[in-house]
Amino acid sequence: MSEVFFGMLPEHLLLLGIVLLLTLEIASEKPRGGLPLSLVVVGAAAVAATWLYAAGYSAVPFPGHYSVTATGMLAKAVVLALGIPVLLLARDDFPEGPFYPLLLSSLYGFCLLLSSDSFLTLFLGLEIMSLPVYVLVLLAFGRPEGPEAALKYLVLGGTATAMFLMGVSLLYGGSATLALSAFASALGSHDVMATAAIVLVVLAFFLKAAIVPFHAWAPDAYEGASLTVTAYMATIIKAGVLLAALRLFGTTPVSGRMVELLAILPLVSIVWGNLAAMRQHSFRRMIAYSSIAHAGYLFYAFLGAGPGRFQAVVFYLVAYGVTNILAFASIPRGDDATRDRLENLEGLFQRDPYAAVMIGVAMLSLAGIPPFPGFVAKFLIFKNVIAAGYTAYAVLGLVGSYLGIYFYLRVIQKMFMGAAVPGAVRAGPGGLALAASVLCLIPTILLALFPGWVFGRF
Amino acid sequence: MADAGLLNVVLFLPLVAIVLLVAVPPREEGMVRGMSFWVMLAQFALTAWLYARFDGGVGGLQFETRLPWIPGWGVYYQIGLDGYNVLLVLLTAFLGPLVVAGAFTAVTKDVKLFYAMVFLIQFAMMGAFVAQDLFLFYLFWETMMIPMFLIIGIWGGERRLYATYKFVLYTAFGSILMLAAVIYLVYSLQTTTGVTSFAFADLYQAKLPLSAQTLLLIAFGLSFAIKVPIVPLHTWLPDAHVEAPTTGSVILAGVLLKMGTYGFMKLGFPLFPDATQMLIPLIMVLAVVSIVYGACLALVQNDIKKIIAYSSISHLGYVMLGLASLDLLGIQGAVIQMVSHGLTAAGLFLIVGMIYERCHTRELAAYGGLAKLLPVYSLFFMILTLASIGLPTTSGFTGEFLVLLGAFTASWPQYQHGNTLPLVLSVTAVSGVVLGALYMLRLAQHFLFGTAKAPHLPVADLDLREKLILATIVVAVFALGLYPDEPMRKTELAAKQFQQLVTTARLPGSTP
Repeated sequence: MSEVFFGMLPEHLLLLGIVLLLTLEIASEKPRGGLPLSLVVVGAAAVAATWLYAAGYSAVPFPGHYSVTATGMLAKAVVLALGIPVLLLARDDFPEGPFYPLLLSSLYGFCLLLSSDSFLTLFLGLEIMSLPVYVLVLLAFGRPEGPEAALKYLVLGGTATAMFLMGVSLLYGGSATLALSAFASALGSHDVMATAAIVLVVLAFFLKAAIVPFHAWAPDAYEGASLTVTAYMATIIKAGVLLAALRLFGTTPVSGRMVELLAILPLVSIVWGNLAAMRQHSFRRMIAYSSIAHAGYLFYAFLGAGPGRFQAVVFYLVAYGVTNILAFASIPRGDDATRDRLENLEGLFQRDPYAAVMIGVAMLSLAGIPPFPGFVAKFLIFKNVIAAGYTAYAVLGLVGSYLGIYFYLRVIQKMFMGAAVPGAVRAGPGGLALAASVLCLIPTILLALFPGWVFGRF
Repeated sequence: MADAGLLNVVLFLPLVAIVLLVAVPPREEGMVRGMSFWVMLAQFALTAWLYARFDGGVGGLQFETRLPWIPGWGVYYQIGLDGYNVLLVLLTAFLGPLVVAGAFTAVTKDVKLFYAMVFLIQFAMMGAFVAQDLFLFYLFWETMMIPMFLIIGIWGGERRLYATYKFVLYTAFGSILMLAAVIYLVYSLQTTTGVTSFAFADLYQAKLPLSAQTLLLIAFGLSFAIKVPIVPLHTWLPDAHVEAPTTGSVILAGVLLKMGTYGFMKLGFPLFPDATQMLIPLIMVLAVVSIVYGACLALVQNDIKKIIAYSSISHLGYVMLGLASLDLLGIQGAVIQMVSHGLTAAGLFLIVGMIYERCHTRELAAYGGLAKLLPVYSLFFMILTLASIGLPTTSGFTGEFLVLLGAFTASWPQYQHGNTLPLVLSVTAVSGVVLGALYMLRLAQHFLFGTAKAPHLPVADLDLREKLILATIVVAVFALGLYPDEPMRKTELAAKQFQQLVTTARLPGSTP
């Protein structure tokens, strides 16, 4: 019994929060306190996960379906901690309302998938994580693009789910087990059914992570959503998809045709994402294309095997997550449409040096320029790819990443070299957004200074 | 031990200065300038102290600090001075206060950000020189790009955006290839020897097949060659120089370009000796092409800054020639030439910047007879011109003479064995000296003599600050020209080590 209690303590706390928030919604005419309550709950869950990690807790609450390890707890703690700045950003967009219970549900799903041992729990986790996001996209009421974006996202997300289920059914048909290890063992087999299953599952992940050519939904969905939700989708949801894929692949090396599957489309993603991002005028669309490229780097990491793969993916996700949210948190205040336009950043350094420097740091880190954490993250990935013997793919990927430098620098150019827009809002990020940016800045600096200390834990 | 700590202070002082700058209220521009100057001067004083304490009779690293940084990968925070970098570190620190003082009146927009960026690039350049760990070196190498991007892009001329993107996109392309090569090199070291290390000393032990060495040398070499720049990778340089503010040009010409030649000397050649031996004819051809082509282009420019920019390409060609000669004198000459060019080019860009501040044009045709209008200015201009040409007693002579001597010494035995190419190249390289005199004297003739004319007459002559800046450089130019022996004794062992590393085969199976 204690295993179910302690092992799932972060999840229980989140569930408690969801119930409380929903009760609040029903009980009161004008519900208030959604933000502080969610912050407390997510914070408590993060603390609980950290505590269990520090205690080296491991348990198997539901044998065969759900198990807890210390590393898994650390991952949960990190994800929940990343959720806090997202919540802080939310107040401007969502003063109250269903946003908070939905976000907590999504985080609940994330925690579930991190501990999943069977296709059943993994699927549950993935869906609980994604379903609330369809609604979150729709929640940007004022925006005409909202419904279209949500629908697109929903339909394509559904397709991915269907493909995933189809692949899993084929695997189950071949191996008669729901254990995740069935996927890893199928990786090595030349059986047609196993291969078909793997291809379906991988493509489902490609669709969810927006790998070219399954990427077209991402810019529209990101653009339709509010800034907060875009930040959430670009960082935490992407992390969820990649970590789910990581649970499946484990440390098993890939070989043969699988290498091409995992290298070529991600490579195309890197190149296309970086090229298309150059032409964008909307901040959200630019981040969307940038995230398409980053998904490419992340799947590259799967070419390497062993613990290195895990380190690379996790470090990359953390570095990418904090710097991305840092950028979102530092966008100057204003109405939604203005904030989204890149021209709004013209001359930002004159108006608000802090915000400009923060966005600059985030952009350089995303571009993978040292000494920012994005560089170490990229280094880790390409190091593993070269160590696995795929030097040619590594060089091509690096050249692809070179293409990205231009549009990140263009943001910096606008902020530092542009003339200030007349009549532009003077104020930078407000109180809570400032707190969020500081919360992201601290890990950014720590990751840059002590990268070894961080990935030594995984 | 205390001195090792001092080197860390020298390295991190610019970062401390940035933190201090943030604290200064933005309106206090005078305070920003004053503080920046004194910090740079302090950095130079400390560096000079270290230089004086540097013992040329001892090989290997001095004032070394080595701390584990990313233990899992074998990455260390390892810095130190050796014969390779000691002069360049001194040059960087020497130019620091001059760069800051030179911008006192020229930069009036975003003064705080400007000096912060100057400190950032100073930090990165210093770090790249003193780093003894490839990972650390790469971090510093890449960090240099961002402040330069901003310096050209914010405070540059009319086509600054074009120039700054060109600079960044060229540089970043080289860096990306170098990154792939760094990873591959370290991984090969790990698989062949079992040692996971980024330390230069360990990487010098790596034994790689010729094919891998060649590819890696090309990847590293492209990155360095873009920085030097070697023809045909030079096209970013004139644009960057012309559009950059004076400070940017001085940093570029004074130190940044030496990053490329230093990279070849410290990493490119010694890491891949067999590939270097094989490619030496190509490297020499490119070096000589750079010397002659750069000089020819300088001859036909009408923009004063462009003349000096192209002359940089020519002068750095000598450095490459000296390194590629693999002759002890040639190598030492290359080192002296690096410092000498750093001084003269920095001086020339500063002095051109001073007239630009007064007259707002760089067109050669707009000026004439400045010797009558601005006698003090013209005196300094003439001295720097002669130093750039390489007149004996100036530093330019020592460097170029030694390089050519080394090139001849190395090519003569080869000529006797029937290989005429090196000798032909050495002879061709001499023409660079003649062409150098031609384009610099053409500049001086149009600029200083003839009918007196200048836009915005009357023009004021140099003030005390400007005189002091130029006088400092002129003193250094003569010091290096008259007493080259002292710095050469500090670099001699490094030159020998370089020669030995590059000439010893290091293929798999060969015994050291």
